[in-house]
Amino acid sequence: MKYTQLHKSPVFLKIMFVISVAIIFFIGGITFKHITVLKKSSAFVSNSYEVNAELERLISYIKDAETGQRGYILSNDKSFLEPYYNSRVLVRKSYERVSKLTSNSRTQQSNLKKLLYFINKKQNYLSKSLYMIEQGKFEKNTFKNYSIIGKQTMDSIRFKVEDMMKTQQMLLKSRQHDYKSTMNYTPLLIYLTLIVTLILITVAFIKMNNNLVLLKNTINTLSVANEANNLAEIVSRSGSWQLNLETETYTFSDNEYRLLGCEPQSFEASLESFLNFIHPEDLEFVVQKTKNILTENDLAPFTFRIIRKDGEIRYFRALGRMVSIASGDKTLIGTTSDVTEEVYAQNLMEERNRELEINNKELTAFNYIASHDLQEPLRKIETFLSRLISKDYNNLSKSGQQSVSSIQSSANRMRNLIHDLLQFSRTNKGEKVFEETDLNVLFENAKQELNQIIEDKKAIVESDELPILKVIPFQIQQLFINLISNSLKYSKVEIAPIIKINTRIITHNDEEFLPNHNSKYYKITIEDNGIGFDQQYAKKIFILFNRLHNKNEYEGTGIGLAICKKIVENHKGFILANGTHNEGATFIIYLPVS
Amino acid sequence: MNTDFINICLADDDEDDRLFFTDAFDELKMNTKVSTFNDGVELMNYLNNEDSVLPSVLFLDLNMPKKNGVECLLEIKKNEKLNGIAIAIYSTSSSEEHIEETFINGANIYIKKPNDFEELKKILSEVVTINWQYHTSGLNKDNFLMRM
Repeated sequence: MKYTQLHKSPVFLKIMFVISVAIIFFIGGITFKHITVLKKSSAFVSNSYEVNAELERLISYIKDAETGQRGYILSNDKSFLEPYYNSRVLVRKSYERVSKLTSNSRTQQSNLKKLLYFINKKQNYLSKSLYMIEQGKFEKNTFKNYSIIGKQTMDSIRFKVEDMMKTQQMLLKSRQHDYKSTMNYTPLLIYLTLIVTLILITVAFIKMNNNLVLLKNTINTLSVANEANNLAEIVSRSGSWQLNLETETYTFSDNEYRLLGCEPQSFEASLESFLNFIHPEDLEFVVQKTKNILTENDLAPFTFRIIRKDGEIRYFRALGRMVSIASGDKTLIGTTSDVTEEVYAQNLMEERNRELEINNKELTAFNYIASHDLQEPLRKIETFLSRLISKDYNNLSKSGQQSVSSIQSSANRMRNLIHDLLQFSRTNKGEKVFEETDLNVLFENAKQELNQIIEDKKAIVESDELPILKVIPFQIQQLFINLISNSLKYSKVEIAPIIKINTRIITHNDEEFLPNHNSKYYKITIEDNGIGFDQQYAKKIFILFNRLHNKNEYEGTGIGLAICKKIVENHKGFILANGTHNEGATFIIYLPVS
Repeated sequence: MNTDFINICLADDDEDDRLFFTDAFDELKMNTKVSTFNDGVELMNYLNNEDSVLPSVLFLDLNMPKKNGVECLLEIKKNEKLNGIAIAIYSTSSSEEHIEETFINGANIYIKKPNDFEELKKILSEVVTINWQYHTSGLNKDNFLMRM
């Protein structure tokens, strides 16, 4: 894994390149050295041949001198002496050339010195014998002597020259050996250099080609992503911008310009050019927000207004985050989105909420005040009526007494209605103070409240252990009162009512309709043996003012169970009713275990 | 004035209620002298008058024009001369807020106006005969509201 990463990294390429150049330089250097050696060797070969040729020439000059002298002595013709005289200069020149050619060989130089001695000796004897003849003092013995010495010297010269040639030959041989071995290595080295260079070029080419393909693919992917991003920006009404922190230059996306109502890239991207669009009232706020971009490397989301090129005011929301891109440059990227619609929608919603709240409050207040104020005249009607009955009832005619009774029962019914309505509006009212309460106490209180009716009807009202729960105490007490009085009210005439309450804990899985955010519920069942009801009305009975019976049969306002439903809902619970006609009703309350 | 009478005052803007009130005492035939006032201002004027005979029980309606019952209650309880008067709130409302507010501000009993004349008589006779010292020492929020 690490290897592949290294293999792909540009550092690897750089190392490869440096190594390659070093190898090529090394091999190139060696090759250059070899070629230089080769050049030297071939120069030496030609030098050796030249030395040999020159030495031959040197001997032939001396011979020419000897021959010329001999010719002169035999024929006494002075023209024979010409080569003899010339030879001195020629021999000197030839000697100098040989000396020059062999200047870098100490053996040859010392040989050459000896050769010079013999040459001088030879020339000396040649000139001596010539002088003797020219002077006419020819002495046979001396001449013979001179000739013998001359011949011996000539032989020495010849030997020396042969010696030198041999030496040169030997030197040449060793040189040729070097040359040969060098010649063996050189093509190999050149070939090697070529191969290595080729391999390196091929590797580099493959590598670069791969990178190029990769780059091309990346560019393709990028351009697709870029296009997708452009489309996404258009759809989502957002734009993006970048701030390169090294160069402190800005880039805006096309849609950023469109959001501002401008043609894409129609002006130079900069903080200043963007700030020009900001609503004057929000300018200070935005400047404050963007001031710390460079130090904090982050731009928390914030909303502000801008004025588009066409003068329209829009709401923008911007946020930014610091990223380090591959080149190591730190770049702050940010998005701006046009949230005008959202802002308007939110404002509208808030306004609606406020209106709703006000309406709700007014309604509650109205309900409360109306029912409260209605009590006042009703109370007077009843009080006057009670005085009328206690004082003048007997003075009234039969029908008058009938009417008074009717007025009384209507007034009574009205009082119940007002009382229940008040109760209902109190259940709706705001203050919902939840307290840890023992429901057994609330149940006992409820029973106490209904004591009179329970006694009158000889009813049995009992409950097993109720839980301790966080509830609004007076509401739960009211719930018990309403449910028990409901059961008492709809009891069978000839049978004493039995009302049983039992409680158990269930999980939300036990009942399909229970939501699963509360895992456990108390299921409180209130069961009676009254007249019951038809199951088809099970939902209807909880609706305000809904009654199943004629008010002459059973008195009731149609509010009691609506209050029960409201109370249970206030406690995030559920209430259901099951009824069987003439057999009894069961009310089931589900209260979440907090 | 005649100290044999129990002096009783009622401040109520409702004419009918004043009538029920006085009629009830008439019929009770107790040794009472009932004075009624049409609003809080009238009542306070009377109470602040040095010549006035202070009542032993003051019945105070809450909802009155000009000066309502709570304002009267506050003024009376602040006044050293008057704060010894037993105050019975006498109102149509039985809302928790009203009961709590008047209890906190030092009223002695809260009477919800009954809708039966006989009941009214019963309540009034009971209130007038309460031993206030005893009642006040054991007063709490539960027995503040008078129940029959």
